Amino acid sequence: MIAVSADLAIQVRDLTFAYPDGASALVGVSFDVLAGESVGLVGPNGAGKTSLFLCLAGVLKPRTTLFQVGGLDPRDPAQRRRLPTQVGIVFQNSDDQIFSATVFDDVAFGPLNLELPADEVRKRVAEALERVGLTGMEQRVPFHLSGGEKRRVALAGVLAMRPSILLLDEPSMYLDPRGRRELIQLLHTLGGTRMIASHDLELILQTCDRVLLLDRGQLMADGPARTVLADATLMEAHGLEVPYSLRGNSIA
Amino acid sequence: MTLAFTVPPPNSSFLGRLDPRWKLAALVCFAAVAATLHTLRVAAVALAAALLLALLARLPPRWFLQRLGTAALFFLLFVLPLPWLLDGNGPSWTWGPLHLSGRGIESALLLTAKAITLVTLFLIAQATAPLEATLKAAHALRIPALLVQLGLLSYRYVFVFSEELRRLRIALRVRGYRNRARWHSYRTAGHLAGTLLVRGCERAERVAQAMRCRGFDGQFRALNTFATHPVDVVAFVLITASAAALAVWDWLPRLLG
Repeated sequence: MIAVSADLAIQVRDLTFAYPDGASALVGVSFDVLAGESVGLVGPNGAGKTSLFLCLAGVLKPRTTLFQVGGLDPRDPAQRRRLPTQVGIVFQNSDDQIFSATVFDDVAFGPLNLELPADEVRKRVAEALERVGLTGMEQRVPFHLSGGEKRRVALAGVLAMRPSILLLDEPSMYLDPRGRRELIQLLHTLGGTRMIASHDLELILQTCDRVLLLDRGQLMADGPARTVLADATLMEAHGLEVPYSLRGNSIA
Repeated sequence: MTLAFTVPPPNSSFLGRLDPRWKLAALVCFAAVAATLHTLRVAAVALAAALLLALLARLPPRWFLQRLGTAALFFLLFVLPLPWLLDGNGPSWTWGPLHLSGRGIESALLLTAKAITLVTLFLIAQATAPLEATLKAAHALRIPALLVQLGLLSYRYVFVFSEELRRLRIALRVRGYRNRARWHSYRTAGHLAGTLLVRGCERAERVAQAMRCRGFDGQFRALNTFATHPVDVVAFVLITASAAALAVWDWLPRLLG
């Protein structure tokens, strides 16, 4: 029996998930994430990165022998309902996540679902928008926002829930270089535990100390970002490439 | 394409300043009465009152007329044949095989007046408050939350889907597709509609997941900043009293006769 540790933000043992059509998405995945740790999740398309995040957020229901996320067990329906207060997930496509008619309404959506008083909701919205640098855009409508702004609104909507764990799925997708740079700066200002799934390995290098490598639903590597991402044999075997900034180290 | 769905920014007109709940309640009452009118004279007065409200709402004329024209295309399809098809008491004229009846003309005019009144009232509600404020007002007036949410989500995603449709049409054009009346075009249009439908289903799934991840439990919750002022009540009473007067004028001769 593995004990649940207070220092561990996430504990996963033998996590297995298959979609209703029988396609296996995750097979026997086990890992821990320490509170405050920043972990990158890399792997080719179809590796199971998004499925793993959806399991951690309580959307998908996998089979596991131990499952703890932010002190809650997603397998238990009562605890699963409390997960949004502990786990915030930013989806690949911001249009899927920004479903309200205005920026204010969207950021307020989560706090309102927590049935917080109106003043507290307004305070959280103001704080979240300030953290992502969108103060003053409360009444803007989503279709008038740029890709970078949409990403920030999606992040603000999650931050307003004040989760202890943040899951970011392909955060730099659809962003231009400036938007990507601003996102990296923003990620550095966010505290708490983070997991970032991305094909943008330079972004992973700049924001994460540790990397998990998934392929065909299985965990292939788990280690320091600079060590895992610089291993050319490992990276090529799993359809990835050593990031440009590490290529010198790899040759040496 | 997306411009077709946009509304002018809410202005500072008299109607634009009213509390959306009182305004919506008054406009719905007026619309309900206008829809049930039987006499052309009263329907014409109702139309004049609706146009007066449109003036008070300072609707941008071009925006208003474009939307009215689009709506007219639909209802004129049903109204135009009436003078030729509907027979009854009163004058009638015959030219060869064509038969024009006075009652048909009156019915066509009555329906047209009522339809323009209803479209005008709808456009007033749309242009004098942001849609989300009008839908929240509807929720405050006990309209089922499911309908309000459907309205909000539809309005949010109509832009995303129109963008998707635009991208698909460009993808077709750059591969040499031209819309012509032939079997290949009909099949392609069917595939396009099917693709949009499948993508819509997939997106709906992802949106539902995103909503659940932020604690959504099926209940609609919104922060309202509505506040009733005396002017809201006065405007509500004036509009509903006018509607009541129209209803009495329309029904009283029938009841007495």
